[in-house]
This record gives sequence, C-alpha cells and structure tokens, in this order.
Amino acid sequence: MPELKYNSAAEIDDAYETLQATFRAGTTRPLSWRKHQLNQVVLLLRENLDAIVQSFAGDLGKPRVEVITGEVGPIVRRTIQSVALLDEWASDERVAAPDWQQSWSPTVLKRPKGVVLVISPWNFPVFLTFQPLIGAIAAGCPAVLKLSEIGPGVSTLLADLLPKYLDRSAYRVINGGVPEVTHLLRLKWDHITYTGNGTVGRIVAKAAAEHLTPITLELGGKSPVLIDPNTTNLKIVAKRVLWGKSRNAGQICVAPDYVLIPRAAQDAFVEAIKEAAAELRLDDALASTDSYGSIVSEGHYRRLRNLMTTSSGTIVVGGNTNEERRRIAPTVYRDVKEGDSLLEGEIFGPLLPIVPVDDVRQAIEYIDAHPRPLVLYAFTEDPEVKQALRDETRSGGLHFNDVLSQAGVDQLPFAGVGESGYGNLTLKYTYDEFTYLRGSVDIPLTLEPNLSTRYPPYTPAVIEALAIKSGAVQAPTAAATASA
Amino acid sequence: MTLDSNKVRLVMSDPVQLQSEPEAVKIPPFISTPVDHIPVIRATLKNAFKTGRTKSIQFRRQQLLSLAYLIKDNFHLFQQALASDLGRSHHETTILELGSTLTEVMTAYHNVAKWSKPEKARWSLNYFAMNPTIRKEPKGVVLIISPFNYPLWVSLGPFAGAIAAGNACTLKPSELTPAFSALLAELFPKYLDPDLYTVINGAIPEATKLLEFQWDHILFTGGSRIASIVLTAAAKTLSPVSTELGGKSPAVIDPNCDLKLTARRLVWGKVANAGQTCIAPDYALVPKSIVDQFVQACKDVLSDFYPEGAESSDSFARIVSPSHFNRIKGLLDRTEGEIVYGGGMNSQTKFIEPTIVTGVKGNDSLMGEEIFGPILPVIEVENVDEAIDFINARDHPLSLYVFSSNRAFKDKVAENTQSGAVVMNDTLTHCVAEGLPFGGIGPSGSGYHTGKYSFDMFTHLRSTLDNPTFLERLLWARYPPYNEQKAKSFMLLTLPSMPARTAAGGYAGSKRWGPLLIASVVAVSSFVLLIGRPRLVRA
Repeated sequence: MPELKYNSAAEIDDAYETLQATFRAGTTRPLSWRKHQLNQVVLLLRENLDAIVQSFAGDLGKPRVEVITGEVGPIVRRTIQSVALLDEWASDERVAAPDWQQSWSPTVLKRPKGVVLVISPWNFPVFLTFQPLIGAIAAGCPAVLKLSEIGPGVSTLLADLLPKYLDRSAYRVINGGVPEVTHLLRLKWDHITYTGNGTVGRIVAKAAAEHLTPITLELGGKSPVLIDPNTTNLKIVAKRVLWGKSRNAGQICVAPDYVLIPRAAQDAFVEAIKEAAAELRLDDALASTDSYGSIVSEGHYRRLRNLMTTSSGTIVVGGNTNEERRRIAPTVYRDVKEGDSLLEGEIFGPLLPIVPVDDVRQAIEYIDAHPRPLVLYAFTEDPEVKQALRDETRSGGLHFNDVLSQAGVDQLPFAGVGESGYGNLTLKYTYDEFTYLRGSVDIPLTLEPNLSTRYPPYTPAVIEALAIKSGAVQAPTAAATASA
Repeated sequence: MTLDSNKVRLVMSDPVQLQSEPEAVKIPPFISTPVDHIPVIRATLKNAFKTGRTKSIQFRRQQLLSLAYLIKDNFHLFQQALASDLGRSHHETTILELGSTLTEVMTAYHNVAKWSKPEKARWSLNYFAMNPTIRKEPKGVVLIISPFNYPLWVSLGPFAGAIAAGNACTLKPSELTPAFSALLAELFPKYLDPDLYTVINGAIPEATKLLEFQWDHILFTGGSRIASIVLTAAAKTLSPVSTELGGKSPAVIDPNCDLKLTARRLVWGKVANAGQTCIAPDYALVPKSIVDQFVQACKDVLSDFYPEGAESSDSFARIVSPSHFNRIKGLLDRTEGEIVYGGGMNSQTKFIEPTIVTGVKGNDSLMGEEIFGPILPVIEVENVDEAIDFINARDHPLSLYVFSSNRAFKDKVAENTQSGAVVMNDTLTHCVAEGLPFGGIGPSGSGYHTGKYSFDMFTHLRSTLDNPTFLERLLWARYPPYNEQKAKSFMLLTLPSMPARTAAGGYAGSKRWGPLLIASVVAVSSFVLLIGRPRLVRA
C-alpha cells in the first residue's frame, strides 16, 4: 500500500491563495478555457486507465470492469457532454417579462460563485471526485479537491496526475486526514460539496455556517428494497438485488441496503437468492480479482465482521470471509427482525438482511417510519403499489424494478432528502450548484414619466393612479373555478 | 389552461381599499407563541402533511387564492399595522408591497399546475425504455423566518411558493413589527388551512426553539449575524437553508450620467422605507470631478420629495426600533465625513432625517456595516477602476447599481464585480422584475426567490426509473463473472473514441464530438443488442 503524502498547512494556504488570485484574475471566465480543462480531464482518465485500475489494488481491489463502468466511463461520458452543452448552460437568459417591464431588458446572467472545495470519499474516489469537479470547471470555479485518506492508492495517483493535466493555478489536490480537513473548513469558500456520511456532513455544515457558505451534501442511509411478490418475477429480482449488493462489495451510497418482503413469499425469495448466487458465482467472491472486490480498510472490515457476529438473522448464502484479503462473500440473512445489528446503521458492505413483514402496506409504513433514504427501490408491477410509494414515502430517488442503474442516467438529478442530504448533482445540476444567477435590469431614462408616481410627496392624484396600477385581484368566475 | 405572465397582471375591478376604515376591525395585541406549543404545532404540520391533501393542485390553488384575499380584504389593516410599527405612510405600503406581494401569490396560483408537472428526462438511447422522470415533490414541512422591513413581500411572497410546491409551512415573522405579526397570526386561520399553514410569533426564545427541530427547508431573511446562528442550528439537523441577507449595496456613478435623473432614482431608493431596505443603495462612489454637482442634485431631489421637510411629511417612514435608531445614530455620530445635508434626529419618534455625508473614507464608521437607514455616504473616487477595486475589496453585495448611459462603462463595472443583482440606472426595481431570481452571493446570501424560484426552493426533484423485467436479456454484460468479452462491450459503450490531440495543443475536429458520441453509442448499442439475442419473454 503506498504511503499517502499529506499536505502541510502552508501548502493548503498556498493552494487557497493561488486559486483566489486566479479567480480574481478572470482566468476561468472564458468558456474555451473551461472546455480545454474539461478535455484534459477526459485525456487524464483515458490515458491512465491502467494506472487507475492498479491504484485500487491496495484497498478496494475494484475489478477492472467496475472501474470502467462505475468510475471512469460515466465521467468520460459526462465530461464530453459538458463540453458539448456548456455554451447552452452558460448563456445569459433574457426573461419573458410582462409588457410593462420589457424595456428593462431583464436578463439572468450565469456567473461562477468563486473558489470551491470538493470533499470526496473513498468508495467511488474517481467518480465522486470528478463529478463535482467537472461541474466546477464548467461553472468557471477554481477548485480544491480534498481526497480520501482511506483509499491512499487512488489519492496518491490523482495527486500526481491532476497537475499534469489541469491548470495548477485553478485546480489543486489536497491530501490529509482530520487536521487537514479541519484547516480547509476554517477557510472561506464560495461553495463546498461534501460526499460522505451524516456525522461529518454536520461538521461540514457547521463550518460552512461561520462563513455563510452554501453547501451540497451527498450523504447516505439505508436504502430499502421493497418486494411485492404478487406482481414480479422473484428470480430476476433476486439476481438484480444480489448483483446490486455485491458491486463494490456493497460499498455504494445507493446500494440496496435491506429487503422488505411479505413473509409468505420469503421462502420462495430465498430459493431465488440461492439460484442467483450460483449464477453470479458468489462463491468465487473471496478469491476472484476480476469480478469481486475487497472491503476498503481493516477498520471497515472489522465493523462488518462485528455486524455478522451480532446479527440474529439466519444465513442463507455466503458467510465466508478472508481476513488477510479483507474479503467478505456476499451474504444474505433471512428472518431479520427489528433491532437487529444489521438494521441499525447503513451497512456499506456485502451483507443483505431480508426483513419479513406482513404485507406491502406494512413495508410502506416501515419505510415511512425511518429516516428518509437516498434511494428507495421497489420491485412491483402493480400500479397501485407504485402510486402508494410515490405518494406516501419520501426519498432522494424512487426506482422501480432495478437497483443502481439510475446512477448511469445522465439526465436525472442525483440528490438526497432529509438525512440523506441536499443539493442536486449530475451534469447541468452540478453546474448550477457552482453557479449563481445574477439578475440584471437596465431601466431606460426615458421611462421617467411612468415612474413619477412612485416619488413622494404622495398626493391624492398619485394614490388614484396607484389604485389602478397595483391594486386588485380579480376573482375567477364560478365557471373558471369549476374547470381549474 | 396556462397563462402567460402578461395575463397575470392584476386587473382593476373591485379595487383594494386604500384609505383606512374608521370602524376597522382592531389589530390584536402581539402575543408570543408559548415555547412549549411549538413542538405541538410542528407535529400538527407534519401530520397534516402526511394526510397527503397538499398533493392536490386544486387544493393548493384554493389556498393560494385564499392567501390573495387575505391580503386584499385586509389591506387597510396592514397599512395601519405598518404605520404603527414602521411609521410608514399608507401610500408607501401600497407602493412598495401591495402589487408586488399580490403578484407573487397570483403568479403561483396561475402556474402551480405547470410548475408541478413531472419532467421527462431528455431522451437517451440507453435509458428511454426505463422512462426516466423527474418528479416535483414538496420538500415537506418548511420554515420561513422573515424580517421587519418588507414584511408582506418577504413573508407572503415565498409563502406562496411553499404552498404552491405542496408543503406545510410555518412563518415566524418579526417581533419588531408586532402589530403586523399579530395581525397575520389572527388572519391566517380565517383564510388558510390551520393545520398546514401557521404563524408562530415570538423573539429569541421562540426562534431558538423552532431551530432545534429538523425542517425540510428553511428560508431566512435578515442579517448575516443571525444567519450564521440559523445555519449553525440547521447544521445539527441537516436542514437545508436559503438565506437572503444584505450588505452594502454600492451605487457607481459615471461622470457623464444624467445627474438629475440619477439623483432622483438613487435618492428614492435611499429614502423609501427610510432606507430600511436590503437592496437600498447603501453608499455612492462618485467621481471627484462631479461630487459637488452630484450632492446638489441630491439636495434638490430631497426638496422636491419633502417640500416641508421630511419630519413633517406624511411620506417618510421612521426607524423600526429604539435600538436600530441608536445604532444608526451612532454611525453618524462617529463619522469623519462632513454632513452636508440633514442630520436631524428625534429619538421619541425614531425619526432620522435623510442625510448626505461627503468625504467619507473606506474605514469610516458609516462603511463598517450595512447602514439600513436614510444616510447616504458619498465616497470620492478618481475613476471607475478605483470604484471597482473599492467594491471588490469588500463582501459581495446583494445589489450593485450603475448610473451611466455608456455601454462600455456599464459592462466594465458589471463584468469586473460580483453581486446578487446588477441594475443600470435605477434602484430597487429589479425585485419586481418578473422572472428574475432575487438572491445574493457570498455574505449577501444563497438561494433565490420570487416567482418560480420560490416554488423551486421548496421542491425536491425526485428522480424515478422504471426498469421493465423484459430488459433482463440486454443486461447480461453487467453481471459477474466478468470476462474479456463483457469488458470489451462496456469499453465500447462507455468510452467513445475521441479526436486525437494535435501538436498545436488543440483537438482534431473537436467540434464534432456531439454527433460522434451519438453515432458511436448507437453503433455499439446495436452491437450489444445483436450479440445479446434478446428474448422478450419472462424467464
């Protein structure tokens, strides 16, 4: 495992001051400059794919296919789209104003907020660093990237590669632990994006409050999977859910965390799980390097082992572990009850608890009684069940009949709600997080006669004129109300 | 039925009462909501939201129309309340708040159906079969904390957005406008669903209690010191917050501008509501060459506005409270500039005369904080570059005013500064420009309101996908065990070929990436479909 080099306080301050000066100088303003930096991101990823795959070896051991499909591929795609769409995103918008305001030329100007801080986690260190970064580049904001110390391989590589491709005066990597992040958070940023957990999310929000800095929080939680056995194919469900849980060894913020299923169908679902486990060759998981990965660190490995030993559920597949390689086979538990260790916090590992409930209605109540998840998955073809979920639950996203695939849809905003965070990301949504809308009007001098009534002294004639201009609400007619 | 914004304009029929009624219903006394009621009220809001009745667009429209009538029916009472609280003339309340607030409510009323419609995501080959949709959902139970200065517009404008977006909402108006806030608390249950839309009155203890709870969104309008307290409390509960703060909004004067008109529009912005406006022109940056003429023009305007002097005019407001009066008095007492007009004060009536101070330097007492009063410091500058540097050395303001008829001058100031809004040749008007977002940057705030921006602030974009089971055959490549064949197919799909880098540092044919990307995706997807041999039956 490479030794991660932490940056010093002086280096942090230097990065900050340099980026402030760069922003003031207007370097990041021209769209062509930003597009060039975006193209450089694509080249960085494309030209160093092998090195990137290698850099995971010491911690997550992320299979090559997952690096391509889950990390590098989506970023390359989205960066290319950002270049293509930037002119549209950045163009000032003339507002469709009512007649009497047309002459004011009301326009919305899109402007960069300033110098921003991106704090990214260890589980998708490329994707979750570059997704905010490309939005910041597109928006014209210089950015400091604080990478995770828990995945030192990737953080070391990115610290090395970034200055070779991107303009050092506008984009800097800072590596470090708690003291370094604390130092960063004491500085005044124009926006902070944090991806991680709720505990640190609160710390980030508190630090931002000192400077009135706006923030984006992409947090996590327990993303439930509701299965309605009457209207779905349990074999396919089992395969999709097991697949979703085993990707990145379950260390994904939108991983299916736990399953809710009516108890009458639990046996059939467990049979389907066993079949799916065989098809996905889960018993290879401890040894395979192409298809399965490891738990990121000893600390997390121990945490997960502890969940396994304290759970009262019954294992139906998996259960094997390899401490030396920090591997846990995707493991499914049945008959998990409320209060079980697996239901306390976000699992963030390849353990899948099945929680039997009376029926779909009880499942919906359970979901609603718990903190709002980042994503809610439901396997059902019943339109009433779907509508009930739309109306009666709240979650960052709501997805039917699959897991994880929504993360690849470039046009959908990605956001949490409640404990799972706030602020939208992906393509233009990311761009918008780092952009402020500056309203602009230009009031012609020739309008002066129209404005005369606003000046004191207020005389009866003025009041009369104002009663006409700004006064009355016209109640809709009965017919209009009926058709509304 | 959709309405464009031209039709939203209010129509004269059944005109609003602009004179006070002699037998008017009394304005109730100000009563703070007991602190231990606050959790109960919040629980009521949550339960009412859970019933789902705000989902109905018809329900929201009905509530919005009721809100509009709340304002219209009782406008004479609001005028009285604000006369009592702010010493503001009835006419000024009409001019500043009636039309603007009603427009906000009626815009929401007319557009709520359109705004809440789910959006289909842009079509994409890979995902269209999954029907990617963005639902507009209410965030849930939200809190609006509003200040004393434009209490109707700043409270009820965003409140309309919260209703339109389907939220339950509680409003905590200012204790510095007790008559106004008491009146609102009295009227709300008469017009609006009392379990969904409430007013909580009080001061620090009540606000502190409110902020102990998690809210699905908080809108805070006020000063930056309290904003920091609000944000710190919200951090503990992970409540998202929008802030509308203030700061010192500068006015930059072009030596060649029409001085008479400039003075008239600038001074009006300064004296409206006795300067207690978050977007009031706080100070003026005036070229040395025209300082004397500028000051004279301002004096002339003030004589026009108040022929008998501001104190005896019925068109000039008072400072909201003794403590704000003392604050502003202190700024003026400590100034090292020269008072060339005004300076009169009356602590009994909280009257501060419109005042012009010249020779003010950057470190003067008048430049240490937002004035929020009718005092205009005049800062002399050599040229526009000095004005720009002066502005950039300070916090980003909420508004920036440029008085010039010269395109190049306007552009230079606008492009070299940052501000919530930039306004040419007037003050204050931009906040009623329909369709413009009203918001700040940096210490002047984050987030926007008015019109659809208010609706968006209180809306959660909930993404949804619906993946049909029959697509299973197409997804073969994503499942482990991974092999070279699967890896190759994904490589093609997710890493489109790119134009090569040229020696000159550019890119060969870089303008054609868009169509190139689409072409490669189509080609590869067809390939994947072919080798996948889909069986469109359930396994």
